Amino acid sequence: MLSEIFVEPFADMVAAPDFLMQVLWEGLVSGILYALIALGFVLIYRSSRIFNFAQGIMVVFAALTLVGLHEAGVPAWVSVVLTLGVMFVLAVVVERVVLRPLVGQPDIILFMATIGITLFLIGFGEIIFGGENKVMITQELGIPTDSVVFEPFGGLLILEQKDITAAGIAALLVIGLLLFLNKTRMGRAIRALGDDHQAAMSVGISLQTIWVLVWFIAGIIALVTGIAWGARAGVSFALEVIAYKALPVLMLGGLESISGAIVGGLMIGMLEKLFEIYWGQPLLGGNTETWFAFMLALVVLLFRPQGLFGERIIERV
Amino acid sequence: MNVHLQEDLSKHTLRADDGIAKGADLLKVENISLSFGGVKAITDISFDIKKGEIRAIIGPNGAGKTSMLNVINGFYFPQQGTITFRGEKRRRARASETARDGIARTFQNIALFKGMSTLDNIMTGRITLQKRSLLWHALWKGPAEREEIEHREAVERIIDFLEIEHIRKTPVGRLPYGLQKRVELGRALAADPALLLLDEPMAGMNLEEKADMSRFILDVNQQYGTTIALIEHDMGVVMDLSDRVVVLDYGKKIGDGTPDEVRNNPDVIDAYLGVPH
Repeated sequence: MLSEIFVEPFADMVAAPDFLMQVLWEGLVSGILYALIALGFVLIYRSSRIFNFAQGIMVVFAALTLVGLHEAGVPAWVSVVLTLGVMFVLAVVVERVVLRPLVGQPDIILFMATIGITLFLIGFGEIIFGGENKVMITQELGIPTDSVVFEPFGGLLILEQKDITAAGIAALLVIGLLLFLNKTRMGRAIRALGDDHQAAMSVGISLQTIWVLVWFIAGIIALVTGIAWGARAGVSFALEVIAYKALPVLMLGGLESISGAIVGGLMIGMLEKLFEIYWGQPLLGGNTETWFAFMLALVVLLFRPQGLFGERIIERV
Repeated sequence: MNVHLQEDLSKHTLRADDGIAKGADLLKVENISLSFGGVKAITDISFDIKKGEIRAIIGPNGAGKTSMLNVINGFYFPQQGTITFRGEKRRRARASETARDGIARTFQNIALFKGMSTLDNIMTGRITLQKRSLLWHALWKGPAEREEIEHREAVERIIDFLEIEHIRKTPVGRLPYGLQKRVELGRALAADPALLLLDEPMAGMNLEEKADMSRFILDVNQQYGTTIALIEHDMGVVMDLSDRVVVLDYGKKIGDGTPDEVRNNPDVIDAYLGVPH
């Protein structure tokens, strides 16, 4: 038994390094998507202390809008632009209708409000786009669907081009976002607002403008995530559950840290895949991916309650 | 330090030099009333702040001093009354808008961006002065970068002035209280304000820190020509620093005048010492 847990999996890894690489790559691709969703959470949390439960449904909503528009006869790239417009309108509406009247309320109230947004978007999305599954317009967007085959160590490694594209776009998005937050005055304003609303307003930062901006950026991230994930698994409301995978990522990475979200997302993506293939399937009957991330987060929380990268909060009592 | 400051003065006079003569009304509040539900915080208060002066607002706890500052900088909208700033009546201006008009402030319970360094905190003070927009930053770095450098220089001068060079890179959350207050003053100064509101700048400080802070406030007033309104409980400080004093009690104005006049005003004495009813 002990050898099945502690020896054989590693022996397998060494025996078939090409397969190990394949597993890691698959995990990495899921991890990128977890990280992207977590990034949306972090961005909104940092600028407003709101835990945005609606981030997951925003992914679905963005993907549905894109596919829905294309089905209605709009060219693919025009649909992308229009979808961005829809996400912007959504940001404005959320700020006007939900956030502005609730300014200054306790965090939990705002959190509840985002659950309201989630439920609204589910209902609204179903009315407009219907409840059935759709296929992401991968080819129409010009995303290549072939595979690239490598032969490391005399084995076989197959990378799908759409996954490579997704990884590339995600990386660009992250780099852009980091530059934006750290190098521009708008970024400085966003960070300032997250630290202290009153002080931020007193130096001339407009709460309203920044909130719209941040929710719009979260919408852009949602669209990118929706396209990438939709290309792998189709577009349906079931996509929303991947948003819950962002929760353990956030527990690992901390709610405040962008690099935490990225590293946490990639780690969870790869670790859950490794665990599933080398331990879960042979020993536990498989399907461990549904719970592994949460277990891992729980263990981390036991030892580092602020997450692996979160800012340590020292409170004087 | 003063050489630099004067240079700064001549370079960045956009707000201090707004055509209003020294001694003329910079801000005028008239018949302001503010209530929260049934609680009246301020009742029918009028006073003015003249350009170039240090105006103190004093009064016992709960007199409505901070509420008054919050009205002036747009955190609260009064139910009644008008505010005239630089000759223009204003209606329901939000805090971010008054900041753009040149009103900067500090807070009673320090409100800094705790995760950021001293330098970044003070840089945020210049947000309203930065003209190049976000798009500029994204598309063409040159001009935006030059502008950033200019602002950085102005901020460095403030850091020199406040004698906080040694904590330039320190996250402000880690600084002791007195230094945090100084950084907060620096952030307000960075906005090059026409009117500077200070809410208890010396609360919780020891004698030495108070002396430093008093010196900074006087220097700012004299070197920059900045008009200052301050709330302070230390009467010694108030009497030494301010040109004129307005006294509030239970949301009403009970005295207004030079420190000497206020000191001898029987209503003020009653409010502070209590009277048998």
